[in-house]
Amino acid sequence: MLEVKGLHAKVEGKDILKGLDLSVRAGEVHAIMGPNGSGKSTLSHVIAGREGYEITAGSVQFDGRDLLALPPETRACEGIFLGFQYPVEIPGVSNLTLLKAALNARRKYRGQPEIDPGDFLAWVRDRARLVKIDPKMLSRGVNEGFSGGEKKRNEILQMLVLEPRLMILDETDSGLDIDALKIVADGINALRSPERATLLVTHYQRLLDYVQPDYVHVLARGRIVRSGGPELARELEQKGYGWLEAA
Amino acid sequence: MSLAAYAERFERFAAALPEAERAARRAQLQRFVADGFPTPRLEEWHYTDLAPLSQRAFEPAAGGNAALAPHFLAGTDRLVYVGGMLVSADSTAPERHSAAAPAQDEGVYALNAAFARDGLLLRLGRGERLPRPLQVLIAGADGAVAAMTHQRHRIELAENTEATVIFQFLNQGGGGLATHVIDVRLAPGARLNLFRIQDERADATLLTRCDVRQERDSVLHAVSFDCGGGLVRHDLNILLAEAGAETGLYGLYQPAAGAHLDNHTRIVHAAPQCRSREQFKGIVDARARAIFNGKVVVQAGAQKTDSEQRVANLLLSPKAEVNAKPELEIYADDVKCAHGATVGQLDETALEYLRSRGVPPAEARALLLRAFATEVLDHVPLAPLRAALAARLGLAGTDAWELEA
Repeated sequence: MLEVKGLHAKVEGKDILKGLDLSVRAGEVHAIMGPNGSGKSTLSHVIAGREGYEITAGSVQFDGRDLLALPPETRACEGIFLGFQYPVEIPGVSNLTLLKAALNARRKYRGQPEIDPGDFLAWVRDRARLVKIDPKMLSRGVNEGFSGGEKKRNEILQMLVLEPRLMILDETDSGLDIDALKIVADGINALRSPERATLLVTHYQRLLDYVQPDYVHVLARGRIVRSGGPELARELEQKGYGWLEAA
Repeated sequence: MSLAAYAERFERFAAALPEAERAARRAQLQRFVADGFPTPRLEEWHYTDLAPLSQRAFEPAAGGNAALAPHFLAGTDRLVYVGGMLVSADSTAPERHSAAAPAQDEGVYALNAAFARDGLLLRLGRGERLPRPLQVLIAGADGAVAAMTHQRHRIELAENTEATVIFQFLNQGGGGLATHVIDVRLAPGARLNLFRIQDERADATLLTRCDVRQERDSVLHAVSFDCGGGLVRHDLNILLAEAGAETGLYGLYQPAAGAHLDNHTRIVHAAPQCRSREQFKGIVDARARAIFNGKVVVQAGAQKTDSEQRVANLLLSPKAEVNAKPELEIYADDVKCAHGATVGQLDETALEYLRSRGVPPAEARALLLRAFATEVLDHVPLAPLRAALAARLGLAGTDAWELEA
C-alpha cells in the first residue's frame, strides 16, 4: 500500500531524512519509534503532505501512485489521515462543519453526491460515542478550548468518521492519561481491518500495549536502523535508544 | 474651489418650494458653500477626501425605476425609495413616510439639509411595539446619471417601546451622490434594533450619518454591513445621555475591489452606569481601502461606565489597505474601559489543517472567513436577513446552526 524508497527530506535547509525505506501492506500496523529529533514527525508529515519540507531524493508511493506529486487535500481524499501531534484550534469553525466539509470533499472526489444531513449527524454521533465525546462538543469550534486529551480524542473521532485507508498517528499518545490512552487505542483498533494500514509514530512503548503492532522500526539519524516484531518495542523500553544510536 | 454648480441647482430646486421653507433651506445651502466639502486637513476626514466633489455637478434625482423585489425580506414591512422618492406600489408601510422638515446642519450635511425632502418618520407612542421589522430600501434609479439624492430619516421611540429597522442602500450607480441623515431618539426604556446594509456600485458616493440620543435604560443594538464598492463614509454617533443606557455597535465590512470605505463611530458616555459594546470586523482584499475609526468618550461624571471596543481586520491582499484607529478619552475615574485593534492574515496553520482533512483550499479559506465573520453575523437575529447577508458576503455554507436546525 505504502512504499517509501530512499527518502531524503530537508527542513529549513537541514537534512532530516537521509535515505529512508519503508514498506507497509494493507492490514498491517507498523510502529515507528525513535529518539527525539530522529525524523519521526518529518516522515509522517512528508507522507501527509504538510508544507515546509523539501524532498531532495527518493519516492513515496501509495497504491502505486506518486504521493509526493499530490497536494495534501488530494492525499486525504485518497485515504491518508494524519493524526496531529499538536491539533490546531479553529475558533468559529465547528467540529461538525469540519467533518461535513471533509466527508463531502471525499465523496465529491469519488464522484458521489453529498451526504444527507440526517445520515451525517447520525453517523457522527455514533462515532462520537466510541471516543466518549459529548455531542454538545460537536457544535463547538474545532478543538477550541479543548484539553490536550480532548484534542487527541477529537483527532481519533475525525479518523473514525472519515474512515481512511492509511492512518498515521503522530505521537498521538503523548500527554495522555491512561483512560484517554485506552480510548485512543480503542478508536485505532476499531478501524483495524485487512483493507487498512496504520503507522504509529511514538516515542514510548505504552501505546503499543493497547495497539499491537505487526512491525516495529527504529528511526535514528534519518534512517531506519532496526526493524523487528513487537518484542523490539519492549527491548527499547528496557534499554532506551542509546545502544542503537551508537550502533 | 467652486461650488457654483450646487448653488445653481439649489436655486432651481428652491423655486418649486413653498415660500416658508425656502429661506431656511437657502441658509443651509449658504452654510454648505461656506464650509465646503471636507478635506483631509480635518482630522475627522483624514483618510477620506471629498474635495473632488467640488468640481462635479449633480442633478437632483427625480424618482425612477429599479428592480428591487429580490431584496424584499420576508416577514417585514417596507418603505422603498428610488431616486429619492417613495415608491408607493412597493411600500407596505407608507404611513411611515414623511416629507422632511428643514433641519440645521453643517459641512457636507448642510448640503443634505438644504435639499433633503423625503424619508422615514417612525414615531412610536408610549409602550408601543412595532409589530414587524421595517425594511427601508434606498436605491438609485435605473439609468440615472450623476444624480444626487439627499434624505433625512427620523426614528422617535417613546418610553418602553420596541422597534426593528433595516436600512438598505443599494446600487446608487451612475456616478451619483447620496447623503442620508438618520436621527434617532430613544426615550427611557425604548429598544431599537437598527441594521444598516450598504451594497453600492463602484462609481457611487454614499455618505450616511446616524445620530442617536439615548435616555435612561434605553437599548440600541446597531449592526452594519458594508459589502459594496464606491466611496462610502458612514458616521455613527451615539450619545448615552442618561444613566443605564446600553448600546451595542457591531459591523462587518468587506469592501469590493477599488472601494474606499470609511466607518466612523463615536460613543459619548455622558451619564453614569451606561454600557457600550463595540465590535467591528473587516475583510479587505484586492485594492480595497477600509478605514475604521472608533472613538469612545467618557465624560466627567460618567462613573461606572462599562465600555469595550474591538476591531479586527483580515488583510487578504498586499494591495489592500486598512487603517484601524480606536480612540479612548476618559474624564471619569471609576470606569471599566477596554479597547483593541488587530490587523492580520488568515491563519495558515488552520488552512493546512483543513486541507489535511481533504477540504480544498478555496473552501478552507471560505470556512475560515465565515468563522471570522460569524461573530458579527450572530448579532443578526432575523434569519432571512442573516441568510441574505451570508450569501452576499460569499460566506454561505455549512455551520453549526444550519446543521442543527
